[in-house]
Amino acid sequence: MKRDDERGMHEKWREYRRPGYYEELDYAWTMTIDLDRCTGCEACVTACKAENNLPIVGEKAFAQGREIQWMRIERYWEGEYPNARLRFIPMLCQHCEAAPCETVCPVTATYHNQDGLNAQIYNRCIGTRSCAVYCPYEVRYFNYNNHHWDPPLDQQLNPDVTVREKGVMEKCTFCIQRIRQAKDLAKDDGRRRVRDGEVQPACVQACPAEALVFGDRKDPASRVSASMNDPRAYRVLDELNTRPSVIYLKKVTTDAG
Amino acid sequence: MATSAIGLFVDPHRALATAGRLKAAGFATIEVISPIPLEGADEVLGKKTSVIKRFTFFGAILGGVAGFTLAAGTAVLYLHPTGGRPIIPFPPFLIITYEMTILFGILATVIGFLISARLPAIRERAYVPEAAIDRFAVAVSCDDEECLDRAASLLRAAGAEEVRMAASRPTWRLPNEA
Amino acid sequence: MPAEVASLRYADVNRDVVRSLVETGPKYYITLACALGLTLVCFLFPWFYQLNLGIAAAGMNHPQVWGTYEASFIFWIGLSHSGTLLSCVLHITHSSWRKAMYRSAEAMTLFSLMVAVTMVMVHLGRPWFIHWAFPYPNQMELWPNFRSPLLFDVTAIATYLTGSSVFIYMGSIPDFAAVRDRTTGWRHHLYTLLSLGWRGTDTEWHRLGWAYTLLAVLIIPLAVSVHSIVSWDWASSIVPALHQTIFAPYFVVGAIYSGTAGIVTVMFLLRKYMSFERYITELHFDNLGKLLLALSLIWTYINVLELFTGWYSGASTELEALKYKLFGYYAPLYWEMILCCAIAPLLLISKRFRTSFVPMLVLSIAINIGMYTERFLIVGTSLSRKYLPDAWGLYVPSLVELSILVGSVALFSTLFLLFVKIFPSVSIYEVKETLPEAAELPKPATAERGGVQWQPVQ
Repeated sequence: MKRDDERGMHEKWREYRRPGYYEELDYAWTMTIDLDRCTGCEACVTACKAENNLPIVGEKAFAQGREIQWMRIERYWEGEYPNARLRFIPMLCQHCEAAPCETVCPVTATYHNQDGLNAQIYNRCIGTRSCAVYCPYEVRYFNYNNHHWDPPLDQQLNPDVTVREKGVMEKCTFCIQRIRQAKDLAKDDGRRRVRDGEVQPACVQACPAEALVFGDRKDPASRVSASMNDPRAYRVLDELNTRPSVIYLKKVTTDAG
Repeated sequence: MATSAIGLFVDPHRALATAGRLKAAGFATIEVISPIPLEGADEVLGKKTSVIKRFTFFGAILGGVAGFTLAAGTAVLYLHPTGGRPIIPFPPFLIITYEMTILFGILATVIGFLISARLPAIRERAYVPEAAIDRFAVAVSCDDEECLDRAASLLRAAGAEEVRMAASRPTWRLPNEA
Repeated sequence: MPAEVASLRYADVNRDVVRSLVETGPKYYITLACALGLTLVCFLFPWFYQLNLGIAAAGMNHPQVWGTYEASFIFWIGLSHSGTLLSCVLHITHSSWRKAMYRSAEAMTLFSLMVAVTMVMVHLGRPWFIHWAFPYPNQMELWPNFRSPLLFDVTAIATYLTGSSVFIYMGSIPDFAAVRDRTTGWRHHLYTLLSLGWRGTDTEWHRLGWAYTLLAVLIIPLAVSVHSIVSWDWASSIVPALHQTIFAPYFVVGAIYSGTAGIVTVMFLLRKYMSFERYITELHFDNLGKLLLALSLIWTYINVLELFTGWYSGASTELEALKYKLFGYYAPLYWEMILCCAIAPLLLISKRFRTSFVPMLVLSIAINIGMYTERFLIVGTSLSRKYLPDAWGLYVPSLVELSILVGSVALFSTLFLLFVKIFPSVSIYEVKETLPEAAELPKPATAERGGVQWQPVQ
């Protein structure tokens, strides 16, 4: 991008009026989730919890509905016995290109960064919780109180990730600390781009069925680009025009529906 | 030294008529002090223009400009793209502009009022406390004794209940204080 | 003209208002102590507990992240709409029945706005950073996000707060002058300062009249925009039950409705406890009642519209939201709201009802309870039924939340009680304008220019 004094007023005005501001993203991190492969084992949920220092809210708070699960498995029962069917949908922050949550934060604690990620700035959050109201996927989680980890669980905390205090909103970040590390390594390694497969969020890494694929959709040779173009591909709540970066591959079932 | 002659009237008609008569007689500084706004004052004492409207208008324009500058300027200072929207979107910023227009319009009206009514009254002016209750006062301010005496006699002849010669007193002293 | 008013003289008005300010009996101090005590116990202590523990003290959860704090915020902003807005509209239309009551109504506006702001602070997860929502230059070089509906809120409420304070103050300057002359001690000094040396000359009255009308003209669109903007906090979302264009008019109508009911309550209390029987009369209650009836009908209409269009659209999310509202967990609250706000106000058709004081008081309180329920239902039933059924939830307010709600009413009462002893709560000069003495004032057509023929004293 040209420097401030190199861009004229006219050019700047055009820039500021462009929807989404970015002409081109650096990386366009995308995830595909193959619902055919997903067994609902919740390994991704656990891995995410371990990687990102998710608090243990306790049984009582969980029953009250105050769980913090950046990645959650949604379960939908369909039909009656003996034709009952169970569907799993892993739901995480969709990192929407037109995220409704970003517009409403009064202090801009959430914004869209140059990698196409919906970034949450914990230090800036004042806890209005309007982003959680605006999110149609319900993937934003609020810290209702300060959390603690009984020893020896405190030894399991990831030093690359902060621990959030009460009153702060949090959500899936596509393991931005891993992305950051991969980008740093790539830079040290001769200013190249991050290669496909070099960065994997914890959930992708942990999935035993390899249902989750993560990568840069700007790279046409990446696994995720191929996966995106599967005929089964769809986006959840596509009609809302949020343009999510998480693409689901529809589960193919044997009977109609 | 007394600087004004104040005549108190019970009947607002009479007070206004007297004020008109005094004005016709050539006195320069005449004020009608009343507990409520009097409708006939314009005709008798001369039409007044209101400069407050101009304050409001220019204040509102300034507010509109200030509102949009605030919203757009701060958006540009630290670029934070959100929600797939532009950095300077018009619908939200028009709302901010609208609110600031009204805010500055309101503040400008107040400033205009204070300036044109010459409030707060720091220097001493003619006043009688009864004029805040149920009397209508006609106050004539003069520089010399002879003018004041003439005014006082005219007021008495016009049927004033009481005529006071007052040094313009600060309004913050009670009537029975010196 | 009611008999009580016809017998009033100008001097009586001054005397009554000064007396209402200066004479305080033990009943007042006890009431004030109770209000302060309730504020402390029901508002401040639970809030400090919540500041310590976190929002876990409230009943909110995932997905119900907003609860009674938001509902209370909207409720108090709504209550604020009647006073100043009504006062401005009635001023522009030159109505005379507004004169005795508008001062207290405007005070109601001011204090409900203040209470609404405290509800925002209670609602935040980290309220010690609330200053970040205001634009001020700082070392972080960060500014608030003016694209956010919440920032429209901040701007609108700040403007409305400024506008209301200025409006009530400007209208009170002549009254401060009147009471300045009749009080001593600290009151005298206070009113001297506040009255800015006002004397009541023709010039000053002329300027004040202009400024006041200009302010009224500015405040009317402001007040309409403020509650529209507050409604857009919710309507700008994609939540099925909230994302409706009817929200702005719905909220404005609801605000004026609940605010007018609030005025009725306040008028009753003022009349009874501040000895203003001769000033606040059946006429006022009659007119307020008619206004309430009209607003109730509009409010019912908008509710019916919402139901009808939601049902007619056939969209699954809309139908689910409607079904949940009418027959779900909160259904009893919904029907209570309909009873209080749509059905009970039909009693106002009878003039006998409108002019009886205690029934009007009861109805006005019922209307406000119904309107609070409405705000609560908007929050409670919409957030629990968003798009993904797996994420549906249930919300029950906790004791801390209910206590803070009670405490906010106590806070408002404390502020209002302090107000009636410092501000003249009935406008002296405007009431005088309605008295028979004022009827003797010359109309422009009858006064001649220049030297006027006067009749000598008989």
